[in-house]
Amino acid sequence: MGLELRLAWRNVWRNARRTWLTVAATVFAVVLVVFFVAMAAGIHEKMIEDSVRVASGHVTLAGEGYFANRTLEQFVTLDAGLQHTLDAAPGVRGWAPRLVGFGLVSKETDAQGVAVLGVDPAREASVTTLARRVERGVFVSEDAPKGIVLGERLARNLGAELGDELLLYSEAYSLETAYDLFTVVGVMKLPEPSLDRSLALVTLADAQAFFVYGERVSEVALLADDADAADQVAAGLRGALPGAEAVEVQTWAELMPELVQFIILDDAGMYVLLVILVIVVAFGILNTILMSVLERTRELGVLLALGLRPGAVFRLVYLESLLLAGLGLAIGLATSIPLVLWFQAHPVELSNELAGAMELIGAEPVITWKLKPWNPLGSVLTILGVAALAALYPAVKASRGRPVDALRSL
Amino acid sequence: MAILEAHAVSKVYETRGVATRALDRVDLTLEEGEFTVLHGPSGCGKTTLLNLLGALDDPSEGRVTLDGRDLAECSAAERSELRLHKLGFVFQAYNLIPVFTARENVEFVMELQGVPSAERKARTDAILAEVGLAELAEKRPLEMSGGQQQRVAVARAIVGRPELVLADEPTANLDSATAGQLLDLMEELNREHGVTFLFSTHDPLVIGKARRRVRLRDGRVESDGPGA
Repeated sequence: MGLELRLAWRNVWRNARRTWLTVAATVFAVVLVVFFVAMAAGIHEKMIEDSVRVASGHVTLAGEGYFANRTLEQFVTLDAGLQHTLDAAPGVRGWAPRLVGFGLVSKETDAQGVAVLGVDPAREASVTTLARRVERGVFVSEDAPKGIVLGERLARNLGAELGDELLLYSEAYSLETAYDLFTVVGVMKLPEPSLDRSLALVTLADAQAFFVYGERVSEVALLADDADAADQVAAGLRGALPGAEAVEVQTWAELMPELVQFIILDDAGMYVLLVILVIVVAFGILNTILMSVLERTRELGVLLALGLRPGAVFRLVYLESLLLAGLGLAIGLATSIPLVLWFQAHPVELSNELAGAMELIGAEPVITWKLKPWNPLGSVLTILGVAALAALYPAVKASRGRPVDALRSL
Repeated sequence: MAILEAHAVSKVYETRGVATRALDRVDLTLEEGEFTVLHGPSGCGKTTLLNLLGALDDPSEGRVTLDGRDLAECSAAERSELRLHKLGFVFQAYNLIPVFTARENVEFVMELQGVPSAERKARTDAILAEVGLAELAEKRPLEMSGGQQQRVAVARAIVGRPELVLADEPTANLDSATAGQLLDLMEELNREHGVTFLFSTHDPLVIGKARRRVRLRDGRVESDGPGA
């Protein structure tokens, strides 16, 4: 161990109580930062996954102009070439074609406006969790034509029960009036209330027949490895798609800008609090190091008199600060990482008002944690950066001290 | 051969616009192997002169040369190097590094000099035995008496084999018996190892042992002559 490091380490423990108090403040800050950043990452990831796995997928491919207009006029022809491209696209875990139309569904005298989603039941399960959200009855199936699955609120508003026949009424792609009877085969519970009030699922084949849409689909939803990979998958698809057909590819972030805004705002609020916390820690370290330097004016002068270079005195004070911060970081990370990993494995289910609040923003009432590598790494860099900044003034002050002060102060 | 020379050195302190001349055109030359004392009444400029000679402070006028090098022309880092290799210091209040043991305090200067570990250990063992502290090598300063601490300080001052040891009131905090032992030790080091000593002191015991006495008064050399 080098002389400077040995001396710095001993100096850190010269006033053990003060050192432990500073270390405790750093540990407290590290634990809070890692815990809350992981909690925010977990909640945001869950919100994204909930939204993605209910509707859009991580990436959505559609006909040119579809995202702006969302009518039957914009479509994609799901031919063998496109299917091959989707199957071969790197980072795509699954894809599902959909037909999205709008219409009225009525039961006796009650009618509701609905978004009709025609899905391929087998493929849909590889992208979204819609099938698992069926609480009563079953999901739509090719084996049971003209079956319809309703959102729970939609079913309640219509007074529809399993087995009831509903009249679906709309305008077909051919501009003719489209109407047909569908049987309620399932009721699903969707986290987002507006979706729960308006979504009706039928099979893709039934939807294509109803809207006279042939082999066309409105969109293809794709599932990537995770939300962070969406941009990469979208870029890969844009490059790989056959140029003959004009298609658009958008990521979940482009499709749900309000969700992105919410996450940014939520993060901003949290980071403001964490920055305040880190500043408090910085002043704690500054106070400890500055007091330590001021108390040792004569001693530092003696070191200079004995031949220690000013640069070495600067490094000595810096090392003391980094050792203090490093100790706090080590204990903080050793505490917070297992804690976060435990919560990551044991999500907390909310109840009552908190659950209601979560549902209002379209999320399941569950708090999850996600420890991403940049979280502890960011904490390490932040705390070390803060310690380096806090040590700057005391280190400059110490290294600029004149050795004559050592003798004069006798 | 002259180790250190001060030519017409003056030092003026300014406090709130009031100038105080602590030293006034002092000339002093120290030869190798001398055992010299600077003495005189309080405020006569002893410590100020010692600081200038030790490259710890800058003169307002005049110049100090150490081994032929003008200290005014040296950077802070070069002065550190000069102090490290050419000078040893003994302070009135011992000024040992409190978080280091006696052994570590003695080794400190050699570590800075880059002396290899095995040689450091051998020289430390030898010097601690010479100052009678071999048994206390692993003790920290607060576990030792004032006299023992000052012996460690002397060991630290000479272990780096400096050309000159500057000792500022080294016996001021010691009882007369301990001060006598310490002086005997430094005298022996001077005689047997040729270490040059320059003391600043009021202590008649130290003044009595010196072979050259320089008396200062009002910042000037009043007398400079042989001692015991």
